[in-house]
Amino acid sequence: MRYLTDAQTNVKIGLEIHFQLKGEKLFCKCTTEGGDQKFGSFWRKLRAVSGEASMVDKAAVQEMSKEREFHYDITDNSCLVEFDEEPPHIPSEENINASIKAALLLNCKIVDAIDFMRKIVIDGSNTSGFQRTAIVGINGYFQHGNKRIGISTVCLEEEASRKIDERENKIFYSLDRLGIPLIEVSTSPDISSPQEAKEVARNLGMLIRRIGKIQRDVDSIRQDLNISINGGNRVEIKGVQSLSAIEVVLENEIKRQKSLVEISQILKQRGFNQGDYKIEFLDITYEAGKWNSNIIRKSIEQGNKIFIFRLPKLKGLLKNGNYRLGRELADRLRVIGIGGMMHSDELPAYGITENNIVWIRQILNLKEDDAFGIITMPESKLSSVRNSIEERLEQALEGVPAETRAAVGDETRFMRPLPGSSRMYPETDVPLITISDEQLERNIKDLPKSVEERILELESLGIPKQEAMVSLDLGTDEIIEGIVKKYGNPTVSSSFINKVKPKEKDLERLEILFRMLSQGKIPKEALDELYQNPEKIQERIASGDETVAMENRIREIVRSRKNLILERGDNAFKPIMGEVMKEMRGKLDGQIISKIVREEIDKIIHEK
Amino acid sequence: MQCGDVSETIRFMSKVTLKWKGMTISGRFINEIGDYVIIKLDNGYNMSFRKSSVEILEVLEPPVERNNNNHKSSHKNESGGVVIIGTGGTIASYVDYKTGAVKPLKNFQEALFNTDELEALGNIEDEILFNIFSEDMDPEHWIEMARKAFEKIKSGRAVVFAHGTDTMSFSASAVSFMIENNHLPVIFTGSQRSSDRPSSDAYFNLKGAIKLAATTDVGDISVVMHSDISDDFLSIHRGVRVRKMHTSRRDAFKSINDNELGRIDHMLNVKLNDNYRRINREKDMILRDKFERKVSLIYYYPGIDKDVFLEQVEKSKGVIIAGTGLGHIKNDLVSELSQYKDDKIIGITSQCLYGSVNLNVYSTGRNMLSAGLVPLKDMLPEVAYVKLGFLLGNFQFQKARELLNVDLRGEISDRRTN
Repeated sequence: MRYLTDAQTNVKIGLEIHFQLKGEKLFCKCTTEGGDQKFGSFWRKLRAVSGEASMVDKAAVQEMSKEREFHYDITDNSCLVEFDEEPPHIPSEENINASIKAALLLNCKIVDAIDFMRKIVIDGSNTSGFQRTAIVGINGYFQHGNKRIGISTVCLEEEASRKIDERENKIFYSLDRLGIPLIEVSTSPDISSPQEAKEVARNLGMLIRRIGKIQRDVDSIRQDLNISINGGNRVEIKGVQSLSAIEVVLENEIKRQKSLVEISQILKQRGFNQGDYKIEFLDITYEAGKWNSNIIRKSIEQGNKIFIFRLPKLKGLLKNGNYRLGRELADRLRVIGIGGMMHSDELPAYGITENNIVWIRQILNLKEDDAFGIITMPESKLSSVRNSIEERLEQALEGVPAETRAAVGDETRFMRPLPGSSRMYPETDVPLITISDEQLERNIKDLPKSVEERILELESLGIPKQEAMVSLDLGTDEIIEGIVKKYGNPTVSSSFINKVKPKEKDLERLEILFRMLSQGKIPKEALDELYQNPEKIQERIASGDETVAMENRIREIVRSRKNLILERGDNAFKPIMGEVMKEMRGKLDGQIISKIVREEIDKIIHEK
Repeated sequence: MQCGDVSETIRFMSKVTLKWKGMTISGRFINEIGDYVIIKLDNGYNMSFRKSSVEILEVLEPPVERNNNNHKSSHKNESGGVVIIGTGGTIASYVDYKTGAVKPLKNFQEALFNTDELEALGNIEDEILFNIFSEDMDPEHWIEMARKAFEKIKSGRAVVFAHGTDTMSFSASAVSFMIENNHLPVIFTGSQRSSDRPSSDAYFNLKGAIKLAATTDVGDISVVMHSDISDDFLSIHRGVRVRKMHTSRRDAFKSINDNELGRIDHMLNVKLNDNYRRINREKDMILRDKFERKVSLIYYYPGIDKDVFLEQVEKSKGVIIAGTGLGHIKNDLVSELSQYKDDKIIGITSQCLYGSVNLNVYSTGRNMLSAGLVPLKDMLPEVAYVKLGFLLGNFQFQKARELLNVDLRGEISDRRTN
């Protein structure tokens, strides 16, 4: 394990896990399936608006400052509701009940009424500019081994559009995913290590999938992570796509946060203060044009100007081992559309020479522990770039800034400031959905069995515990149960079904195969090939009593070695079996073959 | 404290602590709806509690005042420029979170736009005339709107009406007829998505309308709304030719039996077609602000009850009938209507909307003509209704009848290309 628990670090992790529901979308009659067909597109702009308290959300303003265009592909499973051209319909009772069950399984208190809110999200992923979301249950817990992980909320919300592409100031989305119901489970920050986070996510997933209706595709479950360490603020990490990624992303994030806390301590030692994060730009376009740097020359040709600026007391903190404050600054600029920042910790490079550096240090009158930055940008961006850099430098003193970050590969990158509660306001188009005591009772009565109970149930059918657990993880348990109850063979069926993970359309074929297996018409070794090549199943069925013919053939081979049998008696079994298998492998079950061979040999010995 | 009529005692956004299902919950009081109390939690979510299941333990702080610091005073009373006149509807309102009701913006241009945008839009004045849903509009409101527009134009300002979309075409028609030869543009606009939504069409529609009013010589009293469901173009429709053709889409407004007057792109470039009426300041601007309320618009349908139908005709001074196809109604009604030949004006339009009425093709039509019914060519039924009320209010009976199927504002044409 690379990660070492450090008591002083005091890692606190919370999870937000999303489960897509199958069936009908949350606010319209479109299906959650399909969406492969495209029927044209449209585009929009979005803008930040006032919340209840008339305060425009900070995160929303940042998105708006990018002046982006959002393009949407219309799909066969989207309608005017997804286009934001028709008010939302009232959610179906089925979707509401699924969310109530999830909350009940997590020991939550169920709300008296579901009150949909609009959560402002103006990255374009929702055509409306907000995500509709409602609390269904609060204050629950999840029993993870001996530890109780608090569940702060279980929400029912709508899935966002699927991002397809991003070019310049345009983002392209497909509407196929928009509006799919999501159950969002948020844990308290009770998790203390990346490994534990992964385990909780896995086990919690297994429990929620007990409801049924949950989509199984890999892509359908996303985790967001909240993480903080001592001396830092809470950071939210969006879009961790797999269980295995949780661990490594968190390990890297902890490293990043630790380094930021250390940087803040160093800055304090160096006496970094308010005056030090005021940035002044110096236009050196004329001088820099004479340098031997292609990057700089090209940028000037594109109409950009070259600015240098002092980064006081930051030498060795911008890029030096774990210290990567330079990247933190570059990330803030990236989100306002500025890509070209270099800093002294990474120079000389990019064609910028030692001499150029000496010149810059002189002209900026830098002290020993000062660093500097070089930036290429249009002059019009000057003030927004200054704001971004100054804001991030101020936060450097505090350690870890409160941010929303995106999981990119194994690491995280800055997305936007952590959104505040001012981005929430009521969804006035959907009435309050009250939950009666009767409805609650019905859901309690309908609750699926716990994971433990279910595993015992599957084990009682002869299914190995390991396979039973895997089946709950994959959601194959009901398929296995059905097959085993009809055709036996618990070990073979469970491992095979867990391996092939059948979809709805595969079930009929699966049933035929296991029926044939139970009748001895096919050997278990043939399952895989027949399952992958359905046309061969038909051949087998068409060939009728092929097993009888094969049995006769086996007896024929055995009889042809009569002399050997008479000579060696029972010891002839092994060589003859070898010969028979050469011809029969894969056509008939090995055990059946061996039984026929044994019978025939006995017969010949007794004939003597 | 037990939870009775809490809104009597607790003010909006007061911090409250309450007990529910054995838990203590704190948040801000929003309002009550029926048997439920709504609290805003610290995470921003609203949560609703059945009154019988909750006990209010404590009310902690006085309410936080609504932060209005982004509302600055508007540029007022300079001559020139554009005045935005709020009349209500989605575009000029916001959701009141206390009651859940839609409320008017007090100073809506600045609630909608930030300082840079306002700067770019130039000299804008802001005035709220009234604040009603467009379905509550009456001819009295049209009269007020016409008077207000007339007065503003006289003082040198072009006019943009921010209006609810449901009956915007009625208002635009009414003002079109009531003001003759307006010396500055009068533009109507609205929104299909409320302005408290990031995806609202209000911003683009209003900016486009202001641009059109401030920079062009469009004399037709026009409606500016989205051309399609994208944010790429706004269409400029002649007020007497436009109709809301969809309940919810932002491109609901379509020009019927007429080409659009032009388009405005998302960079606010205005491109006008040739078919608009240029403003002409050589001629006097005239206001005729009366309206005859005893005018009916009747939608004909198979099975219509003769008595009910005739009763409505009997009570009206003028009637517009939206007939079937080329403008027909059943023959036995025609013979009954002939008795009103001399003392009522009965105009015929088509419920097809597209295309022209023609009463010469079938015998029914010819019977209708001899019964004294007036075929109104390709005029929209609603426009014909507004026009008839306008004519009967401002002109002698014979003159009104004569003018009804004469083109006054571009509402009628004899030539159609699609």
